[in-house]
This record gives sequence, structure tokens and C-alpha cells, in this order.
Amino acid sequence: MTSLADLQSIVGHQFPGGSYRIEPYRNWLTCDAVLSPVPPDDIAHPMFCYYGALAGMGISLDDLFALAGATAEDGVMFGEAEIDLRRPLRVGESFTIRGGITDVERKEGKRVGVFDIVAFRLELVDAAGQVAAVSTNSFVFPRRDN
Amino acid sequence: MPTVAAGDVISEWVVEHVDPDKMKTMAALLADPNPIHWDVDAVRSLGMGERPVNQGPNNMAYVANMLAAWAGGHQHLRMLRVRFLANVLGGDRVVAGGRVIAVEPSPDGQLATCKVWLERDGDRVMEGEARVVVPH
Repeated sequence: MTSLADLQSIVGHQFPGGSYRIEPYRNWLTCDAVLSPVPPDDIAHPMFCYYGALAGMGISLDDLFALAGATAEDGVMFGEAEIDLRRPLRVGESFTIRGGITDVERKEGKRVGVFDIVAFRLELVDAAGQVAAVSTNSFVFPRRDN
Repeated sequence: MPTVAAGDVISEWVVEHVDPDKMKTMAALLADPNPIHWDVDAVRSLGMGERPVNQGPNNMAYVANMLAAWAGGHQHLRMLRVRFLANVLGGDRVVAGGRVIAVEPSPDGQLATCKVWLERDGDRVMEGEARVVVPH
């Protein structure tokens, strides 16, 4: 199991970052998958705050899991999530994504044993340099090998 | 839209059947490598049952859909913060609900702070808070 010291060392880690464009087909397919009508006037589904942030953070989920000493096969789960929309996101818009890991915490439950919570925050910055939205999340990493 | 007030109940938004095929679409769109969303063998080997696990953001999206239906569109959502309490599985019926807890004026209308949740068989699987502008 990843030591607590190793885990704590990733706090402050900044992701490479990147860019993300809300493609029309992605908005359509996303709305279809989450059972939403496609919004009029090029408004994107608000969950693109999360989808865009994750897709543009510059590392894959596999890489993020590896930073926490885990793999996709470990049954990683979502803990908490927040989307903070300073304004509506629009289909066709591009954003610069920046952010990193903000916190880690180790806990133990009677039923699930030891698990770690890793929190990260990502900003979606628009073409004018303004933060249009912020995605803050925590993933739960079961440590079944303890 | 009529004036809203603390205590107002937001109309429920129901997913009659959480479709595993939609999870596959989202996994592909998000390049999500976690097999619990599309590989039942993986779910089983982790001791997590016999059905795929819905992506957490999909569950958030159901609540966002409810708020959009209530406020008049997705463009009115300002913030949604949730805590995931249990997995939603393929085939589940889930119901999004919410209640206004505070209202304040904003340039675009009333800014409503709401408690929101997602339930399965009356049990909370996700809960949190949202801020939504209800236009004049």
C-alpha cells in the first residue's frame, strides 16, 4: 500500500494542463447519455465543467490513479464533486485547463478498511483569460491490500 | 416564472431505468478506464455485485437536468456540489429531488440556494447543494 508520506507528497502537484473544446458532437452525445434535451442557443450541458476539466487536465485518469498509487482495477470511486459555473459554457468554446491536487486524507472504515481520499481542483479559463468555471473533485481509493 | 421562496419543492426528475449502454458512451467520451462502468466481470471480481456502476457525474447530471427543468434551462445553474453516498447501478430507478432553502436577489433574477438529492427506493445515493438563478 502507498505510504501516507508518499501520498501526502502529491499535495500541490500541478497537472500539465491543456485545452478543451466543447465539440457539438460531444455535447449531443453527452446530453443523450445523461437523458437531457440538447439545450438551445449553443448552451452546453453544465457537466462540461467537469468533463472538460478532466479531459483537458493534461494527464489521463490512469495517470491520476497512478499518482495516488492505484490503478483503474482497484475500484476507484467518486467521493465529492462540485461544479462552479461563473457563466454558462457554450458549445464550440475552447478553454485552457489548469489545476492540481489540493488535498489527501487517509481514513479507515469498519466495512471497507483503509481508503484514501484525493482531492483536486481544475479551472476552465476562457479565451479572454477569465475563469469561466471551476471543477473540484475527490476520488476515493480503496486500499484492499492492507 | 413565478417568484420562488424558501421551502419551495422542486419537481422531481425520474430516471426509470439507468441504462448500461449510456455508461459505455460516457466511458468512451471521457476516456474513462475504470472497468466498473462497462465490464461486469470486473465489477464481480471487485466484489461489487453483478451490475455495472453508473458514473458519478451522470448522477450529478440527473440533478442538473431537474434544476434546468425547474429554472428554465441549463444556463441558469451556477453551482452544484454533491457527495456520493452509494453506487447507482445499471437497471436502477432513481429520482432527483430538491428544495429551496434560501433566496436572494441577483442581477439576473432570484438566486436560489437548494438542497438537492438523488434517491433509489427512497434511500439517498447522492446529496448536496445547488445555486440556481431563477430569471425574472
